[in-house]
Amino acid sequence: MNNWLNQHIQTLKLVLSRMRHNMLSTFMICLVIGVAMCLPSLFYLAVDNLSKLTDHIQKDTEISLFLKVDANADEIKQVERQLAKNQGIANFHLVTKEEAWQQLQTKSRSNQEISDAVSQLGKNPLPDAFFIQAKSSDPDSLIQLKDTLQNLPSVELALLNTEWVKRLSSLLSLGKKLISMIAGLLAIVLLVIIGNTVRMQILTQKDEIEVSNLIGATRSFIRMPFLYAGALYGLFGGLMAVVMLIGIIQAFNLSISQIAHLYSNDFSVTLFDTQLFLAVIVSAISIGWIGSYIAVSRAIASYKIN
Amino acid sequence: MIQFDKVTKRYPGSDEILKNISFNIDAGEFVFLTGHSGAGKSTLLKLIAATERPTSGTVLIANQNVSQLKPSAIPFLRRRFGLIFQDHKLLYDRNCFENVILPLHINGVTGQEAAKRVRAALDKVGLLNKEKAMPITLSGGEQQRLAIARAVVSRPSILLADEPTGNLDASYAADIMAIFYAFNQVGVTVIMSTHDALGMSARQNRVMHINQGSLTEHLLKESHVDQESSSIERYTS
Repeated sequence: MNNWLNQHIQTLKLVLSRMRHNMLSTFMICLVIGVAMCLPSLFYLAVDNLSKLTDHIQKDTEISLFLKVDANADEIKQVERQLAKNQGIANFHLVTKEEAWQQLQTKSRSNQEISDAVSQLGKNPLPDAFFIQAKSSDPDSLIQLKDTLQNLPSVELALLNTEWVKRLSSLLSLGKKLISMIAGLLAIVLLVIIGNTVRMQILTQKDEIEVSNLIGATRSFIRMPFLYAGALYGLFGGLMAVVMLIGIIQAFNLSISQIAHLYSNDFSVTLFDTQLFLAVIVSAISIGWIGSYIAVSRAIASYKIN
Repeated sequence: MIQFDKVTKRYPGSDEILKNISFNIDAGEFVFLTGHSGAGKSTLLKLIAATERPTSGTVLIANQNVSQLKPSAIPFLRRRFGLIFQDHKLLYDRNCFENVILPLHINGVTGQEAAKRVRAALDKVGLLNKEKAMPITLSGGEQQRLAIARAVVSRPSILLADEPTGNLDASYAADIMAIFYAFNQVGVTVIMSTHDALGMSARQNRVMHINQGSLTEHLLKESHVDQESSSIERYTS
């Protein structure tokens, strides 16, 4: 056990010192891996955050229920009772025409043209309205609820605007599929790059492989340093990808949170995704390992080593 | 120890290099393998070291049939041998110490124990003061001695040397021979190929001569023993 561990430590030291000797080329390979890992991760972050945003919007979806302009207090009460009875409704509140009128006047004060138009109206054109939050955020049940509410007496119009949210979320699921394809393609590219790099190393280390084989090294002993090299390229490349991601995120973070603030006040941007970072590093290491395994196995076969 | 029974070796697209060869080498023997270049000396050594397999016949090493060994078992068979080549096959990207320690690493020996054994091996071939030197800075004779140190560091029971003195002048060659004799004296079986055994032999040795694929044997008579005994003592002490 101790011997076994010792052997691995020796190999690791050897590989690291070789990498130190070829600092520049090692850096280049890690950079390639880093950039290749960085691209799909950025895509993923963008899509993931957008889909979180749409979830958020969907949850907030309101049904606006406008009553007929001439609805009287009794009729309003009646609608209110109906709403209270409905199981699908989480909560609702009434905005009377007077309140709405006042809000409009206050809001339009900052804009000269609108406030002119409002003051020219003279009398209040707004209806009483209920704003309703449904229990479910599922688009289909929302539409069903909207239809029920539309058929209530003295209701002029029930308004539900979820169409664009639906479109966006289907676009996002398309985006997710795209990401996995891009990630798959880049994984193949990385396998080839790392495999090729290790193959070059095998060529420069051909004497060592041959001599080790003659002296009685097992296949796994010959393979070990190259597997370590591949995995280390992956590790360093993955770390580089994470560093790049953090840098890019920092650069964008400010403007993103500004945009988020414009859309919704309590939406927080979750860009530091530790799971994603771990996934990037782990998959980079495994790609490195697999790439070098393929390369070294082919080399061993072609050198007729037993 | 090593038994060949009706062994024939033919490479694809060539005549038979070895034809129907049988012999038996016991533990502790010192055997010269002679013949013209291309006669099949190297092939015979490769058959013993299991880097080549016989076309027909059986090769038994310590009662193991080499042809029937699984590929995964061959490395462990090979660790019984110390191999020495005419072109040394040293690794020029590392110093003498690191060259010699390689077989120990392969055997799973590391740390202080390994360093001790490397120094002992370097001492036996008279290169202890060169442990930090790169092989390329050594003379031809020193490089071959370094190769011997690498071959013996894991204490193999059999030394296989393929024309180890082929590229060396006479005094270096005598040095190398003295080292081989010293190992033979402590019980190591030595099998060495050379194209002139007569010029370097100091003892009564068994000589196997390969000519056109077949084997003849004779014993070498003693000659100029006195000349080389001093250098033998230097390495055995």
